[in-house]
Amino acid sequence: MSGGLALGIFVVAFAFIATEKVDKVKVVLVAAGAMAVLGLVPGAEIFFSEHAGIDWNVIFLLFGMMIIVGILRRTGAFDFLAIWAAKRSRGRPYRLMVMLMAITAVASPFLDNVTTIMLVAPVTVVVCKRLGLPAQPYLIAEVLASNIGGAATLIGDPPNIIIGSRAGLTFNDFLVHMAPVVVLVFIAFVLLTRLLFRSAFRVDATNVEEVMALQERRAITDPARLARCLVVMAGVVAAFALHSVLHVEPSIVALVGAGVMILVAREDVSDALAEVEWPTLVFFAGLFAMVAGLTHTGVIRTVGDWTVDFVGDDHFAAATGLLFGSALLGAFFDNIPYVATMAPIVEDLVAGAPDAATGEALWWAFALGADFGGNGTAVAASANVVALGIAARTGNRISFWEFTRYGIVVTLLSTTMAWAYVALRYFT
Amino acid sequence: MQARDIAVQIPTVTLADPVARAVRVMGLGRLPGLIVVDRSRRPVQVLPGTQVLRLVVPRAYQEDAALTRTVDEAHADRFWQEIGEMTVGDCLASPKTRPVTVRGGATLLEVAGLMASARSPLVAVVDATGVLTGAILLDRLVAQLALVEPG
Repeated sequence: MSGGLALGIFVVAFAFIATEKVDKVKVVLVAAGAMAVLGLVPGAEIFFSEHAGIDWNVIFLLFGMMIIVGILRRTGAFDFLAIWAAKRSRGRPYRLMVMLMAITAVASPFLDNVTTIMLVAPVTVVVCKRLGLPAQPYLIAEVLASNIGGAATLIGDPPNIIIGSRAGLTFNDFLVHMAPVVVLVFIAFVLLTRLLFRSAFRVDATNVEEVMALQERRAITDPARLARCLVVMAGVVAAFALHSVLHVEPSIVALVGAGVMILVAREDVSDALAEVEWPTLVFFAGLFAMVAGLTHTGVIRTVGDWTVDFVGDDHFAAATGLLFGSALLGAFFDNIPYVATMAPIVEDLVAGAPDAATGEALWWAFALGADFGGNGTAVAASANVVALGIAARTGNRISFWEFTRYGIVVTLLSTTMAWAYVALRYFT
Repeated sequence: MQARDIAVQIPTVTLADPVARAVRVMGLGRLPGLIVVDRSRRPVQVLPGTQVLRLVVPRAYQEDAALTRTVDEAHADRFWQEIGEMTVGDCLASPKTRPVTVRGGATLLEVAGLMASARSPLVAVVDATGVLTGAILLDRLVAQLALVEPG
């Protein structure tokens, strides 16, 4: 009875989140509150159960990284880099697109995808306007590159943060298992863009001087501050990578890094805290509380048991189902709530695996499907929604289908390559 | 004295008007801001002058100060032409804030308090159905307050 009630609340809330009819933060707060008030999950479990309640590692990792990245973005380094790249392309459109995609894909494993897009999209709009090019294909290509690149690390994409925390996977685990396939997929994607966006590569040569007039050096006003911030960022990434030596949680690394960043950047605390996307953090907390309701009432266990029975001993089929299923579902729903809901079920599946390596393979299949599924439609990932918003506000409206018709092709390519990678690396 | 006693008629714009028209209305009318109304002449937004600049400065520059610095002087001089044919509705920030309005019967203290809290030198005066009947400008309010003798 209580399980049915919890499931009912969850399904209704998920429907509201998916259709975006109501602010998703309001939805998760109401749903989590309903679960607690109806006694479907005790408050103590929501707040203090490390495994079943709010995953504070995820919340504080996001919190710390938001501060770090927020300070870093104000140094102007990104604008410098993007305009420098545009000038190096000398107005050749395909080269420009490749350079912008490369900057995005290299940055997104270390910054979250939304931030990456917020950094690179305004420059792209300005450069395209000066070249007389339509900005839409370039913005779409950047979002797709960002979602691909973000899959490479623990901190590159929110689903990875949730999976890493739930599965106990480290920054280096992600680097070793995800980065190789991400590099391959990115190379294939770059080649594919030549074909996908071929109509966007016509430029009037006389417009090139307009781009060359941009003064990228003026973007950075305080090189010493930038250098200090980059040292801190490098230190944070190094601390993530040295987890097996330092044994410090990623969330602690991010919090310490945020504190040091505020100090070295001589940033006002209130300005630094203004960089935190509080609604996102509340959304995550509410989401975890909703899932806690499902866990406490046994819904997750029941679904997990069904899944384990269904899979039996065929773990390659399970990995295949997880990869393509996650890509498909992740394409139509925001992949963050999807992963938060599915992670405990995958955990049950992993517990039934014959050995640790097979179990880990299931986590990688899950992560690859959810991450790459984020490219599937215009609403599949937060970065897509943000990019469409920037496009609309700058007079370069991108429709749902304009994005999705490219996203589907890239998702098909990336998930198929990821499936081949999982099959070859873990099941042969 | 009440709001309707010091309200004046000023030109307004709609969400469908081009931004260029909005700027001209404010500039030529020497207004401290703009009232954006819907088809029924109900205020949708009351924009202080500084916020009208938000309509004019391309969004890419508003969101990225470092990018703004990279624009050369020649282009910076004619930045607002980049807005092109965009309308007031296209350029308004979202989510939209509640318009700064008072009823005709509001006291001068209510009007002054609203202007101070909303940081707006312009308040729209509306009737019981929410339709615009006039506007109170900061200079007119201050002048009126200055006329009141102590005691």
